[in-house]
Amino acid sequence: MSIAEIVEKHGNDRENLLQILHDLQDCSGDHSLHHDAMVQLSRIMNLTVADIVGTASFYSMFSLRPRGRHVIRLCESPPCYIKGSENILLALEKRLGVSVGGTTGDGLFTLETTSCLGVCGVAPAMMIDETVYGNLTEEKVNGIIDGLVKAA
Amino acid sequence: MKAFRSQVLLCAGGACISSGTESVRDAFQRELSAHGLEGEVGLVTTGCMGMCEIGPIAVIYPEGIFYQKVKPSDVAEIVGEHLLKGRVVSRLFYKKPTTQELVQAMSEIDFFRLQVKIVLRNCGNINPEDIREYIAVNGYEALGKALTTMAPEQVVEQVTLSGLRGRGGAGFPTGLKWRATAAQPGPTKFVVCNADEGDPGAFMDRSVLEGDPHSVIEAMAICGYAVGAAQGYVYVRAEYPLAIQRLKTAIGQARELGLLGKNIFGSGFNFDIDIRMGAGAFVCGEETALMHSIEGKRGEPRPKPPFPAVKGLFDRPTVLNNVETFANIPYIILEGGAALARLGTEKSKGTKVFALAGDVNNTGLVEVPMGIPLGTIVYDLGGGIPNGKKFKAVQIGGPSGGCIPAAHLNTPVTYESLPQLGAIMGSGGLIVMNEDTCMVDLARYFLEFIAEESCGKCTPCRVGTKMMLSLVNRICAGKGTMSDLQRLEELAGTIGKTSLCGLGQTAPNPVLSTLRYFREEYLEHINNRHCRAGVCQAMMHAPCTNACPASVNVPAYLAYVKEGRLDDALRVHLRNNPFPSICGRVCPQFCIDKCRRNDLEGPLAVRAVKRFMSDSRDDYLDLFPAKAPPNGKKVAVIGAGPAGLSCGYYLVLLGYDVTVFERQEEPGGMMRYAIPDYRLPRRILAKEIHNLERLGLKIKTGVNIGGASSLADLRKQGFQAFFLSMGADHEIMPRISGTDLPGVYPGTRFLNRVSHNEKIDVGRDVIVIGGGDAAIDCSRVAQRLGAKNVKIIYRRTRNEMPTNPIEIREAEAEGVKVEFLKNIEGIRRAPDGRLAATIRQMRLGEFDKGGRRRPEPVPGSEVEYTADTILLAIGHEPAPGEVLAEDEYKPAMKENALLANSKTGETPVPGLFAGGDLVAGPATVIEAIGAGQRAARSIDQHLFPGKREYFWEKMELPDVAVNMEREIEESMPVEYPLLATAERLISVEVEKTITREAAMCEAGRCLRCDCKLSDE
Repeated sequence: MSIAEIVEKHGNDRENLLQILHDLQDCSGDHSLHHDAMVQLSRIMNLTVADIVGTASFYSMFSLRPRGRHVIRLCESPPCYIKGSENILLALEKRLGVSVGGTTGDGLFTLETTSCLGVCGVAPAMMIDETVYGNLTEEKVNGIIDGLVKAA
Repeated sequence: MKAFRSQVLLCAGGACISSGTESVRDAFQRELSAHGLEGEVGLVTTGCMGMCEIGPIAVIYPEGIFYQKVKPSDVAEIVGEHLLKGRVVSRLFYKKPTTQELVQAMSEIDFFRLQVKIVLRNCGNINPEDIREYIAVNGYEALGKALTTMAPEQVVEQVTLSGLRGRGGAGFPTGLKWRATAAQPGPTKFVVCNADEGDPGAFMDRSVLEGDPHSVIEAMAICGYAVGAAQGYVYVRAEYPLAIQRLKTAIGQARELGLLGKNIFGSGFNFDIDIRMGAGAFVCGEETALMHSIEGKRGEPRPKPPFPAVKGLFDRPTVLNNVETFANIPYIILEGGAALARLGTEKSKGTKVFALAGDVNNTGLVEVPMGIPLGTIVYDLGGGIPNGKKFKAVQIGGPSGGCIPAAHLNTPVTYESLPQLGAIMGSGGLIVMNEDTCMVDLARYFLEFIAEESCGKCTPCRVGTKMMLSLVNRICAGKGTMSDLQRLEELAGTIGKTSLCGLGQTAPNPVLSTLRYFREEYLEHINNRHCRAGVCQAMMHAPCTNACPASVNVPAYLAYVKEGRLDDALRVHLRNNPFPSICGRVCPQFCIDKCRRNDLEGPLAVRAVKRFMSDSRDDYLDLFPAKAPPNGKKVAVIGAGPAGLSCGYYLVLLGYDVTVFERQEEPGGMMRYAIPDYRLPRRILAKEIHNLERLGLKIKTGVNIGGASSLADLRKQGFQAFFLSMGADHEIMPRISGTDLPGVYPGTRFLNRVSHNEKIDVGRDVIVIGGGDAAIDCSRVAQRLGAKNVKIIYRRTRNEMPTNPIEIREAEAEGVKVEFLKNIEGIRRAPDGRLAATIRQMRLGEFDKGGRRRPEPVPGSEVEYTADTILLAIGHEPAPGEVLAEDEYKPAMKENALLANSKTGETPVPGLFAGGDLVAGPATVIEAIGAGQRAARSIDQHLFPGKREYFWEKMELPDVAVNMEREIEESMPVEYPLLATAERLISVEVEKTITREAAMCEAGRCLRCDCKLSDE
């Protein structure tokens, strides 16, 4: 979808800015908000760029930097922490060769942490894009990553 | 809808989906069609059933059979056996965590049985993606009733009558909120549902949205009608894509059927709902921030008033309730407000959903009536703490809440009771923590969370939480001071009072509540550089060493044993504990509770290795740490048990002239006179005490201080400091009749007499009362004295027994029978001359201060047991009175108890120190050794003040190479070799020493947690 189409879909009112930014980011190809896109958006919505960037940067799920094709969000809430999410983080860092916030050289993965995913019963858990994975072990994590690499 | 003979309900909540529900569903579809059962058996994917850990879950009706952890490969068997032949598949049943008993029906599982479901009434029972299923369970009937038979005020009235309060955390009365909004003039008002469920560990809102989205839609429409709003918004976190998708589907279906939109039920009432997705900001759970976010702005809070009811979304009057609150509404309208008000307590009505997580057997969602005791949630619904660990506290209410320790497990959970304990209901996150949780680290965790999530608008929260975090970080890193602690408390007060919104106002709560109940842990971190849970890495050599009361360098001596360097191994051990052979036999091994091999095949058999290592030498003289030159000062130790001997040992090594005075004819204390020979042979005890004497420790036995001579006499002889370690040998007797009858003995006195080689005729039938080590020892000794029928009577259950499970197991293997939940009420002489004991059945009642359930008698359950001997081993306590009879030492006593610092051994009288069982009450040898060690430091500091390091406080790495990159191999722990039960006569040691090969191999299992990769 183009920027104009996205605005059209939600309506050109300030109250729709967050939903527009979500779509903008989803359509960006690299899960991020491009500066020039926000500049364009500011003209269409008649808002200042500072206002748009200021709003976007408030929320942790919007990224102003390019991210990988898959965004891995490891839950860092206490139920997951108690069940060893730190070890899962180490396993992910080891497997991907990046630390939190980093993107792999091949542009496939960005590693992030997230607040509670609400699937505490299967802690430790992570979400890759919109799919939730629970009861993680180092082995399971490597298997999931392998699968995504193969599918790429 | 079609009627089926059977229905398979498959949980498709978020957690179960992540465990593979979809492939299980596909397998069911395949199998059902393969057997031509599609027309007979219905397959429904439902919302969350609440027991997420054991998913995917399948429930088969009409029988209500509950299958857990169903894999696609199990499905053929379920279809072939259960659905075709009517034979249930028991291997997939739920197992009771405490008893391992199989439970087949969902309704029989405590986790479900004890719930009262209003909010979650449809979750797990209907397909959330099919509005017809919701309608089939009276869905939208409440909306119809409200629109067609009630005036808006009547709706508000019912909500008010129900006593419903906001379930999002603050507990504001919902009826009041609705009334205030309804009273506002103007045509445009809004209804907002807060589904920004950000509290870590709370996921009831997600479950409701995923499992029963229509109940929220219906409730919002009812609310719109009641307050005069035509538009609703659901603000959902972007972290919940499945909830958003199901809600979208549901809204679409409701619109299609005219249940949203114009002129609903022909009433002329219009209402529609839009979804607004958040974008990852915790603060948006705060209502004013949330409304800013819906408006497309930065989600920052603003001061209140004006309240949303007056000026809310787009500056219009707005009702803002959370998901769980709304989910109550259809029930209230259909059943009447009074129906909800019948549940709960006076001020907290209805139910509350808790998300049970952490160190508890059953995790997941539970809906319980308000006012239920906290302990019932943890132990009955939650099934207790896994792996035999101890309960420590629950964190309730998320980062804004607080912790509640074991002493308050009887607290009814209500909006009023929790704040009194420094916690809040919050959104209902309930994280159970066991003894391995460091409370300072927990506070640090939540502070980190808050500091990160602070939106930055107001200074106290933005800057203050960061300052608090850095202070707590210092404490966790072992660099904290007492002034840091004071600063922390001051900051907590200021931030709470001056922050703009709820996030900042409650930010200090985790610190305040951990300080309230676990201040001691903060002090240990600051003063002793010790983290008892073994979590804070900076102050830890290795988890095992950290857990050992005497801080024995376990990895170091294991490393040497692995290399066969037994002398080096012993040398390391003797730095922290002079009794390796004794502890190699009787140590309860606090170390292995924290052994990281626990996460693999099982902990190291540390005691077996220690025993092999120490049995290799009779003479330790060349292995003891170097002795300092004599310093000319004399110290007296009263009591030659493990605490006294250890204290003496360290003082001798520091250059003191130490004499130990012992009342009995031989040294050793409880090691000599209570622990039986079959566990600890005399020659082993003699060997290690003799080594101390050769080192220079003087031991005088048969001297009764407090009798013929006194502390004052000793002072006159030149002793400048005293260490009291007379133990706790005053037997506590039950207050029952007949304890003075012949054949009735106090437990330790019995053991004492046997240890003096007295031959006691115990007869054929022996009853032992108690559940501790002494009771087990009594039973096994009685067995060895020829009794044929030995029974232990214990008033609680096996889980509560304060003794090593191996000891119980061996006692039972030798023929001892243990009867649980029974207590003795009296003893009398039977007509035939034998003893008759009245035994009453007990049951577990409320929780005591220690978090254990208190046994209470079952009325009318008395029976009589006859016996030849009855041994009363319910406990013992210190009785230091005699020794401290002189005026100058009396200030060390209060009533009958000694006043001594359990960490340092100091008493209010300068120069007088104490430790071991005398201070701690009946405990273990290794704890006594640790107390002696710490007291030696205090005594040295008393006589020679000044900062210096003590050799036993320095932890050295062994000079054994370790490959940090190596792969960890799986290897099972060595078995403790035991004599066959038939060979276990009196005076024969039951346990044997392992071989050299076995010891080296076992030592090689150590993961060497003492070696840390440097951060650089």
